Amino acid sequence: MSKEKRIIRDHKEMPRSSISSEDMRWNRTGSWRNVKPFYDPKTSPCIAGCPAGEDIQSYIQLAKEERYEEAVRLIWESNPFPAICGRVCYHPCMDACMRTQHDEPVFIPAIERYLGDYAIEHRLMPDAPAQKHPHRVAVIGGGPAGLSCAYYLARAGFGVTVFEAKDKLGGVLRYGIPEYRLPKHVLDAELRRLESLGVEVRAKTVVGRDVLIESLGDYAAYFVGIGLQKSRPLGIENENAGGVMPGLAFLEAINTNRKVEVGRRAVVVGGGNTAMDVARSALRMGAEVTVVYRRTRNEMPAIEDEVEEAMREGVDFRFLATPVAILAENGRVQSVRCQEMELGEPDDSGRRRPVPKDGAFFTLETDAMLVAAGELPDTRAFESIARVQNGLIVTDEFGRTSHAKVFAGGDIVTGASTVVNAVARGRGAAELIAAQLLDRKFDPRVHKKVVAIADVNTAYFLHQRRADMARAQQSAEAFAEVNLGLTCTQVQDEMNRCFSCGVCDGCDNCFVFCPDVAISREDGVYTIDYDYCKGCLICVQECPRGVMSIESEAS
Amino acid sequence: MKKVLEGNHAISWGVQASDVKVIAAYPITPQTQIVELLSEMCASGALPARYIKVESEHSAMAAVIGAAAAGARSFTATSSHGLLLMHEMLHWAVGARMPVVMANVNRAVGPPWNIWTDQNDSLSQRDTGWLQIYCESNQEVFDTTLHAYRIAEEVVLPVMLVLDAFFLSHTSEVVDVFRVEEGREYLPPFKPVDFLDPTRPKAFGNLTAPDLYYELRYKIDQDMRRALDVARQADEDFYRLYGRRYGLVEEYRTEDADTVLVTSGTVTSTARVVIDARRERGERIGLLKMRMLRPFPEEDVRRVLGRAQKIAVIDRNIGFSVGGIWAQEIKAALWPLRRHIPLFNFIAGIGGRDVTPGVIEEIVDIAGAVDQPERDVYWIGVKDDELSYTRS
Repeated sequence: MSKEKRIIRDHKEMPRSSISSEDMRWNRTGSWRNVKPFYDPKTSPCIAGCPAGEDIQSYIQLAKEERYEEAVRLIWESNPFPAICGRVCYHPCMDACMRTQHDEPVFIPAIERYLGDYAIEHRLMPDAPAQKHPHRVAVIGGGPAGLSCAYYLARAGFGVTVFEAKDKLGGVLRYGIPEYRLPKHVLDAELRRLESLGVEVRAKTVVGRDVLIESLGDYAAYFVGIGLQKSRPLGIENENAGGVMPGLAFLEAINTNRKVEVGRRAVVVGGGNTAMDVARSALRMGAEVTVVYRRTRNEMPAIEDEVEEAMREGVDFRFLATPVAILAENGRVQSVRCQEMELGEPDDSGRRRPVPKDGAFFTLETDAMLVAAGELPDTRAFESIARVQNGLIVTDEFGRTSHAKVFAGGDIVTGASTVVNAVARGRGAAELIAAQLLDRKFDPRVHKKVVAIADVNTAYFLHQRRADMARAQQSAEAFAEVNLGLTCTQVQDEMNRCFSCGVCDGCDNCFVFCPDVAISREDGVYTIDYDYCKGCLICVQECPRGVMSIESEAS
Repeated sequence: MKKVLEGNHAISWGVQASDVKVIAAYPITPQTQIVELLSEMCASGALPARYIKVESEHSAMAAVIGAAAAGARSFTATSSHGLLLMHEMLHWAVGARMPVVMANVNRAVGPPWNIWTDQNDSLSQRDTGWLQIYCESNQEVFDTTLHAYRIAEEVVLPVMLVLDAFFLSHTSEVVDVFRVEEGREYLPPFKPVDFLDPTRPKAFGNLTAPDLYYELRYKIDQDMRRALDVARQADEDFYRLYGRRYGLVEEYRTEDADTVLVTSGTVTSTARVVIDARRERGERIGLLKMRMLRPFPEEDVRRVLGRAQKIAVIDRNIGFSVGGIWAQEIKAALWPLRRHIPLFNFIAGIGGRDVTPGVIEEIVDIAGAVDQPERDVYWIGVKDDELSYTRS
């Protein structure tokens, strides 16, 4: 407190109004507090939603400042293939985007694609590893899981050899996903980065056939990412008639420019991404396409965007139906007899099991029948070295198998999943392998607390629609890329829609609004002077992006 | 230089001549033209002042108090509900001893909604500690703006200058104005004593216990009493420089008057006409114009009315259940007189109802007809079947 009290005997000794006789800073009004704000950066929901853990908020922030190269390199920390994923991913990031609760989500995949294409256009290459190690790792399978694992091991300084069964690398990226979704030149451009890191490729080599894993050579570790190889057959009569093809084989033929015919009408069986790729490809070959799926649209495992595009393009859908017989003539399919289904009790996947409706059948006349009702693993080459269950290689969440030197990831572990999940597991396994080989502690990435909508103050954001991506004209060449990406202006506008949830972007609200002038800012860092902060929590309330949190004064 | 100006603009010119530095205001009918013209003067550079647009009258007064606290001569204007909205801040300006000047255009208070003139808005603020000066003409309005700053800065209390809605605010009259260079002879630059100074930080308006609060209030009262002489001097000095003066009250033909009418605002001008007409007919009738409400010029009132046989106060306002507010003030001022003088309290013109010469004639007739008032309050012209006195 201040000096000893003055005794006033006459009003003439007093000023006209109450004025302190000295500076009042001795009065540390922070002592009045019972709750306390503090800076508590959180994980944006997009980052938590991305299976690869891409730091989306940060790369958007960098790109907003036109630091595109830094943004790209930041993506590469988590995903080597932004140009690919920006095109084909099922974007759980966008589904988690907080902005959905305000107007529409941020078009994150479009931004990622833009940055991926930027990297290709500017021929950006990853930095050479800081240090090279003598160990060499064998990666079996040149699909997204294997490629990701190879990339991160090579960047960490290890020698990598990729064994690939087919002619070229890519797996589902090349032999599954058609050109109109993922042009080969984009895939090849992304793969050139692996080349630049010195990854060795042994193509046309099937491990288990051309060479056994035991005789591969002396590798420090092995990563198995062979994915799912074959379409599951329906198991009905005449499935080997002319015109009936497994979906994966059909896609491989198209993607390698081999001749394949679908005629004027095609029936596609299945409801997953493969079925959608098959249906839309058959359509582009001139057929009228009907997709037959045993459950309803709600249960389809395909990415929602793909289903919408298929419907928009004119693919017909018959839900709650399944083929029961193929009618062939002269060894070629003429029609498909289907049974109507209805939904019963849920099965293991949690979806309601389809149950045949007694006596309800219909027949579809068709020139081709493409079966895309699931894919099967083939683990025969690995059963001697790692535990397999239900046809899939058993691993922990980081990719360790029952064998100390063998790791696995991607669809061969999880069952049918997506590119980004395979990429994530490839990277996770690479980090684990690196730690193991260098005898270092493995520190998996951990997220901070995720921002909730209640933390965000949407009053600070104007409403603005999501950007519209241009699509190819109807008249364009059949397999030309459908989605044409966003322009630079569109991308900038779209990035400005990002709330930057949970991460401070220096907007100064806390600094400006503090009624006690208790928040100061230096070099972009905010500090609260708790001597004077009264805990009014206006800063917490007015932080547009929920960076601040509250704790009780007692703690 | 002579200009034809509406009352509101006369104030704007007065503010410019007073070298005001900060204006913060919120619009309301019928004051808006005051600040509108001021904003144009600021924009053109004719008045090098800072104009702050605020979102309410409460904020306007708060902003002006803040500006004065920083040592800037400040101004705002309002009316009716705007004045009422800033009521809390009116008290604050006084307690904080901020010499701000505000123009209030007297407008009736709602509901029901009413934009015309009566005095309830400003009179209901009479205990806040603000000085209040009521004007009769546009010239007086221009001149009083300068008086107001002179008095305010001398006694360090805020001053409200008051004018009737539409009759003054929107009516054009010839006004002899001058610019700031000429005004500086009368009004020296503002020299604040206690003000916000970042180099010597202090806290203002702190919690003060009863042991000292009492004296701070006493000081306000002392300074407001002192303001009577300060106002007289301000009026005199203005006269010496510019040839115009008004006094704290004005007597019109009261020397041998038996009956004295008491008015304020524009009713005064109408009353002068009636006084003249009656004098023509030989009646000994005069007029006391009330200019100052706070501080109340008790001595002048006692001096003038003490000689009268009858007093007729015309109030364009109402203190519910008590009567006209000016009448109440006058009765209190007359209390020390040993002689009891019959005082008729007339209510007229509330909500802007026209006070014509005919209305004032009726008032004079009613007062003339009896020796003592037959009622506390006469509501002239009120629509009430049961009342016999009213005919307007």
